[in-house]
Amino acid sequence: MKELINEKGLRIDGRRVDELRPLKIEVGVLKNADGSSYIEMGKNKIVVAVYGPKEVHPKHQALPDRSVLRCRYHMAPFSVDVRKPPQPSRREIEISKVIREALEPALILEEYPRTAIDVYLEVLQADGGSRCAGITASAVALADAGISMRDMVVACAAGKVSGQVVIDLNDVEDKEGEADMPIAIMPNLNQVTLLQLDGILTSEEFERAFEMAVNACRTIYEVQRKALMDKYFGKAGEE
Amino acid sequence: MRKMPAIERKYVTPGELIAEGSYKPIGNVIRIKDKFYSTKVGLAEISREGIRVIPLSGPYIPRVDDLVIGKIVDFSAFSWEVDINSCFFAYLSAQNVFGKDFSPDRESLLRKFAIGDLIYAKIIAYDRTRNPLLSVSGPGLGRIPKGEVVKISPAKVPRLIGKKGSMIKTIESATNCKLIIGQNGIVLIMGPPDGVLLATQAIRMVESEAHLAGLTKNIQNFLSKYKEVGS
Amino acid sequence: MMSVVKKSIVVEQLRRAQMIELLSKEKRLDNRGLMDFRPITIETGVIERANGSARVQVGNTQVIAGVKIELGEPFPDAPDKGLLVVNAEVLPLASAYAEPGPPDEDAIELARVVDRGIRESHMIDLSKLALIPGRKVCAVFVDVNVLNTDGNLLDASSYATVASIATSKMPKFYVDENGQIRQSDEIIPLPINGIPISITMARIGDTLIVDPTSEEEAVMDARITLVVDENGNLCAGQKGQPGTLNFDQVKLATKIAKAKAKEIREIIKEGIMRNVKG
Repeated sequence: MKELINEKGLRIDGRRVDELRPLKIEVGVLKNADGSSYIEMGKNKIVVAVYGPKEVHPKHQALPDRSVLRCRYHMAPFSVDVRKPPQPSRREIEISKVIREALEPALILEEYPRTAIDVYLEVLQADGGSRCAGITASAVALADAGISMRDMVVACAAGKVSGQVVIDLNDVEDKEGEADMPIAIMPNLNQVTLLQLDGILTSEEFERAFEMAVNACRTIYEVQRKALMDKYFGKAGEE
Repeated sequence: MRKMPAIERKYVTPGELIAEGSYKPIGNVIRIKDKFYSTKVGLAEISREGIRVIPLSGPYIPRVDDLVIGKIVDFSAFSWEVDINSCFFAYLSAQNVFGKDFSPDRESLLRKFAIGDLIYAKIIAYDRTRNPLLSVSGPGLGRIPKGEVVKISPAKVPRLIGKKGSMIKTIESATNCKLIIGQNGIVLIMGPPDGVLLATQAIRMVESEAHLAGLTKNIQNFLSKYKEVGS
Repeated sequence: MMSVVKKSIVVEQLRRAQMIELLSKEKRLDNRGLMDFRPITIETGVIERANGSARVQVGNTQVIAGVKIELGEPFPDAPDKGLLVVNAEVLPLASAYAEPGPPDEDAIELARVVDRGIRESHMIDLSKLALIPGRKVCAVFVDVNVLNTDGNLLDASSYATVASIATSKMPKFYVDENGQIRQSDEIIPLPINGIPISITMARIGDTLIVDPTSEEEAVMDARITLVVDENGNLCAGQKGQPGTLNFDQVKLATKIAKAKAKEIREIIKEGIMRNVKG
């Protein structure tokens, strides 16, 4: 079995167990979209576009009292090691659903009845944790579009690799580790909007992983906030 | 001397705590017990009157009595479909234009307003159950025959108008142009070509600096600099 | 699958009138001359995981292309040639009119015209990609994703494709004593013959313009794309839109394409060099 954590406690990319990969978020990267963002989290590169609120087609899909949130997570064929055909896979469809369900609690959809809000995520390069990075970027794009939100949504995965609980798994750790647990939270309301688990964790490990993931989310939230402040307030926003 | 109410201002993002206390929530604010959170990216204002957030982006939400600039994009036997830069298309009924005796006649509709025509119209009806309805019966309303169109974020329209129209008047007099600002973020500029160019630049400047203090002065400086250099 | 007319942007009558008036003075709405391209920016190597990649902007049109090189079986009628597959998608991110779903006729035409330019100009020497003739060859997959549309997707996609292919790297494959294909540690570039350049023109009234924006495309009567190789030969062409071109306009288009291709080729090459050094 590949050694994923060495005797010095360093992972294959040199990180410690509680260290996040380098993170960068840009706001307003696409001209036509109502809101957009771009995120790099380790080697993940994801661009998100938000269109809406807008009229729903076909009309019968519209809801009388709120907006309909639609989400599409898609991986570019060149985003992974072995080229992936462009047609959506079952994995992409499941991830689209959990991302939608992770974002929905934060949006005040009742303000926009009979409309749709479309969130399109395109993964240009994937390296483990792309759904979490996608959720983080999507919340930023939704805020950029000026859609009313109760809170931001921010996501990070925790897991277990070589017997130790770690944060922010990359692709190799995700594939060869013992457990991967993506979570998403609304950081001011302290609510969980995404939780998935793939692998085996004891109850103690689960609690540790959960706590580490929540803390990581808070760190990432600061990057989201700063990205929005920089774009909208520029120098005036510097405290 | 009259004492001005103190307004505290801060930049906020969605979910951020703005203030605690007994305030009245005015706009773009969620209240949980005595804590107030922003629902938008924008400038929060806390005063004796209450707490509100002025958003820096977001769609145009139609309001009855708003004056908007719309583009005819389609038509049916009874009405034109109008793009008003909002979440919904608006409708202008043939009856509003031709009178109550109107009978469906495809030719008349096209003769009056063609696809791509711009109209200055008033929103006469809008609620949560249906698309906005427009009317062009009123002074100054109807088809826009000439001018250049600039689109800005609807959230910035109040800044472009200014207190009692001061900002728009400043731009108009410096550029020798007439400006019509739709509440939906569409601006029409009519005037000489170099005036139109200057006005467009001034509008873009207002849009990008809407949240900054001293905007009025900056715009005045920008416009007067050009007047010195200019034709 | 039916071929249908799609809903697209409605250009304001006033804007259309302005456009026509400016064209009579040989100017365009964004102050360009008839033969001026918008600013072109090129970044290569943006997707490290891919064998090659490029992000290209032509004005506000933004396209990203990625190259993946894998092993495959050759076509029976070309047993000693590698494979080239070009796919294009106008992502739903790109505009309010782009919908998720399989590529429609526009996206398929886009992919096939870009492919034609690369293939017919022999940009990639496919004969150098046969490892075991008749059995195993290298397959070069180019996937083009349009991120933001503002007209002239054809040229932007072509430039991204060409830049990503020109900067692609692959492991050197060899056949061992047992007839098995192995990968050596040596990294080599794709065998390239030269860079074909695509030039798209639109006819609005009697005027031909290059590099149309979305607005100009909504108003244009006809469109023609010509691809020119390094020797100045035309190697691919496609007329688009239901309008026509008269014979003089076709001749003029070939003249324009040859002249502009020289100019744009320098820009593309310079962009590639800058990235490779950087």
